[in-house]
Amino acid sequence: MNLNIFLYEAIHFTRSKAKLYSYLFFMSICMLSIFNAYKISNKQTQTILNINEQKEIENQKVLDWFDKSNKGPDDKSWINVEDPYWAIRSTSTYVVKEPSPLMPLGIGQSTQFGFYKKVNRWSSTYDDDIVEEISNYERLINGNIDFSFLIIFLLPVLIIIMTYNINGLEKDFSFHKLISIQNNQVKLWVFTRLIFYLILVLFSVNFLILTVGFFNSGISNIKSVLNLILLSNLYIILFFVVFYFLNTNGKSSSSIAFKMISVWLLFCVIIPGSVHQYVSFQYPVNYMTDFLDVNRKRTYDIFKLDNSNLYTKLLDIHPEISLNKDSLEINLDNKKIRRSISSIVNQMNVDAANEIERQNEEKNRLIRFTYIFNPVSYVQNMWNSCTSTDYDSYKKFRIKLKESIQLRNELLVLEIWKEQKVDKESYQEYLKVLN
Amino acid sequence: MINIFYNEWRCFLRNKLFIFFTSFFIILLIVVTYFAIIQNNKQIQSQNEAHNHIRSQWDEIDSTNAHSAAHFGTYAFKSNTILNSLDEGINSVTGVVLRLEGHKQNDVAFSEISQSLEISKFGKLKPSLLFQFIIPLFLIFLSFNSYTSEIASGRLKLLIIQGDSLLKIVFAKIVTILSLSFLLLFLSIFIQYTFNFSSLSFDEILRLVIFFFAYIIYYFIIITLTILLSILFKKSISSLSTMIIVWLLWTVFLPKTIGNFTESISPLPTRFELKSDMKEDRSKGIDGHNPSDERRYQLEKETLEKYNVDSLSQLPINFSGILLQADEEYGNKVWDKHFGNVYSILKEQKRNYQLSGLINPFASIQSLSTGSCGTDLIHHLDFLSKAEIYRRYFVKKLNNEYTFVSTKGENAYLSDNVFFKSINDFNYSTPNFSSVLYYYLYDIIFLFSWILFLIFFVILKSRKLII
Repeated sequence: MNLNIFLYEAIHFTRSKAKLYSYLFFMSICMLSIFNAYKISNKQTQTILNINEQKEIENQKVLDWFDKSNKGPDDKSWINVEDPYWAIRSTSTYVVKEPSPLMPLGIGQSTQFGFYKKVNRWSSTYDDDIVEEISNYERLINGNIDFSFLIIFLLPVLIIIMTYNINGLEKDFSFHKLISIQNNQVKLWVFTRLIFYLILVLFSVNFLILTVGFFNSGISNIKSVLNLILLSNLYIILFFVVFYFLNTNGKSSSSIAFKMISVWLLFCVIIPGSVHQYVSFQYPVNYMTDFLDVNRKRTYDIFKLDNSNLYTKLLDIHPEISLNKDSLEINLDNKKIRRSISSIVNQMNVDAANEIERQNEEKNRLIRFTYIFNPVSYVQNMWNSCTSTDYDSYKKFRIKLKESIQLRNELLVLEIWKEQKVDKESYQEYLKVLN
Repeated sequence: MINIFYNEWRCFLRNKLFIFFTSFFIILLIVVTYFAIIQNNKQIQSQNEAHNHIRSQWDEIDSTNAHSAAHFGTYAFKSNTILNSLDEGINSVTGVVLRLEGHKQNDVAFSEISQSLEISKFGKLKPSLLFQFIIPLFLIFLSFNSYTSEIASGRLKLLIIQGDSLLKIVFAKIVTILSLSFLLLFLSIFIQYTFNFSSLSFDEILRLVIFFFAYIIYYFIIITLTILLSILFKKSISSLSTMIIVWLLWTVFLPKTIGNFTESISPLPTRFELKSDMKEDRSKGIDGHNPSDERRYQLEKETLEKYNVDSLSQLPINFSGILLQADEEYGNKVWDKHFGNVYSILKEQKRNYQLSGLINPFASIQSLSTGSCGTDLIHHLDFLSKAEIYRRYFVKKLNNEYTFVSTKGENAYLSDNVFFKSINDFNYSTPNFSSVLYYYLYDIIFLFSWILFLIFFVILKSRKLII
């Protein structure tokens, strides 16, 4: 590699207004995107803080009832928090997905999912209050100025702007033969010139990733930060390799530009778009009628069952309840069984949700299969995974939510069946278990 | 001018690269439009099945309490329009299922985008993706040197000597390239029309016509601007690189930044804030299940006076039904206040975004494209509003039944299946385009302004130019 060529390219870059300004413009929008994602992340954090505050207020209200020997609010005489049923119903529990510290580096799919959910005994992982934040759908379609988007989709365009005339301009002005005379190896000459831009781009991207990574999370997310660096660097190098061949074989700068733009369009727009269309054709939008049936018709059918049937179903889910009483007659206590129905419904919800997850997973499997010829979607999802803003991160959130609902119903049923009077200490114990 | 037009086409047809790319786009458009229609029809069928499934459950309800049936509720499924196959707009990010029940308004859930990993940032490969992103690039590549190559070859001087004006030559070139985009657009619309011939209404044909002309105008802008830049720069490569940057700014950068900006100047409340505010407002009203409420007492008094009795037990009707309907109406007011505010903020954001059409015609074409296909925010809000109107009808009907149903005897408080079947189903139909046209006036005005602006500049430059 000839250092002079490398240095000449650096001088050319600083003197070429179009290239320099494009680079500076790109870096500015990178910083804008990071700032924008910080704002989204902070908004989520603030909402979570509000939720926690609200939760504390609600739970403190119940603790005050115990202190004042009240059984519930004055205007709702039927509530008795000394009864485990009402005590557990009165606990305020939320499940939240904290924004990832690396979210400024990639918003990913975070604007498409809800990130908190108030849990009650009837909750499920696909309730309609777990949808995305209120936002303008037309803005969602256009997307955010997101750092990952800039690196994955716009950086290749910046590279095109900076490199399209390497070996093309010389051919436009017909002095490429002069270059061949001065440099025995034209390919090495092209390579050296490209290396300058590669180093410039890698340095800029890595600097931004490292700065945000360390500034926002110290070394606690070092593995994810390094993964992002590795991923972005390999992706950028891949584009440089493709562009190297186009530069060496191009006939003119406009022909090189045309081919480079075509490559970009093919990999960033056409292939992902075709895959999207195909996946949508294979797996159309799921109207989730099975889940709706469980949520509605089958739940109402459960309510129609007699106590004996309900008790059998409850025993399947909570065999422990049979140990608490020795007489079937007592077990068929109408009030206790009716108050435990949510546990049976929850089990049905879990089964229906598992089926939805399975169907979604099938769809995801098909998407992953296309990564062989659709590298951009692969990089995009890998990136989202590193910043914990991908589908799987929200799936983990749903699993956490499922466990919380399950725990609440389990506690409710067991405590109802124990028939113990609830005092302040046992209520605090409930709070500990449920949070 | 017509001779230049024919001559341009003759030159195009001699160019192998042109033949290759035009054939490629024609085949691609046929395939993409065809598969988009098939995929859309499959989606419509799936939506109809879900709708019929849910309705059949409703029709099968046995003798039951009408209030219990209000809790049982029903579902509204967001339907795809036929033109969704051209441009699906926001449909992949909005939910598709809305539960309609008593006491509360729910959020539309289960968006397509939340059901899988991320695939494409630019959406599915539908005709709109080709029309908005790829064909403009193709047109840029066809236009960037159409003027400069004439200068370089000396043909321009020859044409002027033969009596053609520069203005005529430039416009002939614009019209030639525009005729190609006309062909591509027409092909897609024709396939759309052929495959959906029997199900297209007059309104949908009107929408297709608007869709077609909106894109023609946009392409005119792209082609004219590219040629104008080549006149200004006199170098093909400068006009090409500038136009690619303009294309990037218009299609990728500005929509995102202006979208974020419009959201920051008219911010939306968070879901948590909205729910807390609504809960607070609602708690001030009548709670159907809370007998100690002051308003309840007032309502009770009024009802007793109306029926001229002393106690609730003497009433010939079910007082709980009146209470529930009163609570429902109060809840509706709360919803109208808060969601009315959210809807007006969303419309304000859309309007502000449309204003960016002044500097970015892509914003106007995007808005007109999704608007004419019935897949934009305005149509989504229309669906939500109509679903809410239906919910109110549905709940009121059930509450009335619950109020006036027999309160005595073996079947007290029970309504029969005939009553439940008599409740109308929710059938959403897209509003006529003429009724929502005013939402797109900015887009139409800006697109025409761009045309006038560019024609003015082309005339100005052509007159001043010395060959």
